[in-house]
Amino acid sequence: MNSLKTIFLFSLVVTTSSLEAEQIMKTWFGDPDLQGTWTNASLTTLERPDNFKSLVVTKEEANVAASYAAEFTEVIDNPYEEGESPKAGENVGGYNTAWMDPGTQLFKINGEYRSSILIYPDNGRLPRKWTSWGMEAPSLYRMFTQANHPEQRSLGERCLVGFGSSGGPPMLNVLYNNHYQIVQSPGYVLILVEMVHDARIIRLEGTSLPDHIRPWLGDSIGHWEGNTLVVKTKNHHLQQRFRAAIRHQILMTENAEVTERFTRISEDEILYEFSVDDDLAYKDLWSGEMPLRKAEGKIYEYACHEGNYSMANILAGAREEERRNQ
Amino acid sequence: MKTTLRIIAFLFFGVFTLQVYAHHAFTAEFDRNAPINITGKVVKVEWINPHAWVHVEVEDESGKTVWMVEGGTPNTLIRNGITKKTLVPGTTIIVRGYQSKGKLCLPRCIANGRDVTFPDGSKVFMGSSGTGAPRDGADPREPNRE
Repeated sequence: MNSLKTIFLFSLVVTTSSLEAEQIMKTWFGDPDLQGTWTNASLTTLERPDNFKSLVVTKEEANVAASYAAEFTEVIDNPYEEGESPKAGENVGGYNTAWMDPGTQLFKINGEYRSSILIYPDNGRLPRKWTSWGMEAPSLYRMFTQANHPEQRSLGERCLVGFGSSGGPPMLNVLYNNHYQIVQSPGYVLILVEMVHDARIIRLEGTSLPDHIRPWLGDSIGHWEGNTLVVKTKNHHLQQRFRAAIRHQILMTENAEVTERFTRISEDEILYEFSVDDDLAYKDLWSGEMPLRKAEGKIYEYACHEGNYSMANILAGAREEERRNQ
Repeated sequence: MKTTLRIIAFLFFGVFTLQVYAHHAFTAEFDRNAPINITGKVVKVEWINPHAWVHVEVEDESGKTVWMVEGGTPNTLIRNGITKKTLVPGTTIIVRGYQSKGKLCLPRCIANGRDVTFPDGSKVFMGSSGTGAPRDGADPREPNRE
């Protein structure tokens, strides 16, 4: 636990010194200015892949990772030879990678490439309690196999919240739509999450909601520590317990408490730090950090319900399977 | 009991996460035993986030059929310069993928685009690098969009 505190203190010292006090941008009401459109798209994932042995990697290793990612996308973009047709029985696949925005390289913090978002535990792996995770399996199995009506499907398919922990907290990168817009007003900070149009309203110096009120993305209360916005979130929605994407899988139980720190370290970057305390799902705290980088342009309006032909197709597919099995 | 749960968790989440790689489960929507390989002209594009839908008219000996091909987020395409002005009706594309499990084709036949390309070699849909993420110059192959 002491090492975790040391890491947080160290990173706070580093980040505040990287932007001189007189350069820190302020809103018209005097708060440090975090506003804008940001992205956390990156090849760096929550947990450290096995091929990396340390948190900080060399530029050469980072370039190799970028090259592998580029080669991988070439392969999955070109699954067939010219004139060849897909074969029956294969995986139906997903999108061309042009539809995705997974990032092209590992992110850097303080000029150093990082192999994982996790900075604690030191091994870059979540300290899972596998017994707790195993208990989730039956409900998840039902969610992805039953299709009698929309309410049986996952939250992402129902356009309620994004898949994985895109909206957070903690806010983690996924394969596409990794954009966030931060808007501030006196007493409030709003984070609009592109996936799937979620707006997390952080009340500054506020009081927490009663424990039985569990909003999507949890109940967030914030305060300023110098130029850093510190946000504590609890009362996570019970239907958001398991958050899965191909890049991360996390379990957040009713006991989970998340602490986030947002520090503007330059015109183009916010350092985003977080720590998760959930004794039901994990054997220890876990914490991470990643940059939120300034994005060009605005977030494309998310219109999940308007374009959600998929839900009807999924239900129609289930009916077709029932017909075949009769 | 603990060992059993660990095994269940490991096996289940390993398989499960392979399925959960997008906004929805493709295997629930599309039929892996119904591959398609069609060439047709774009008649309409629904630029909806997170799923753009490209409507393609295919003409063969049996007549004309309009397919709705599901794509991902328009956000990335637009950030890479692919807009309503560049992906216009009349553009010919090749779609290789799989038809939906429901095959009534009412009002349209539906497919996913496992592989969507332009036959003229423009490779607009091939986005192996420069996917719109902010750049720091580490990848020398990043296209210069200035």
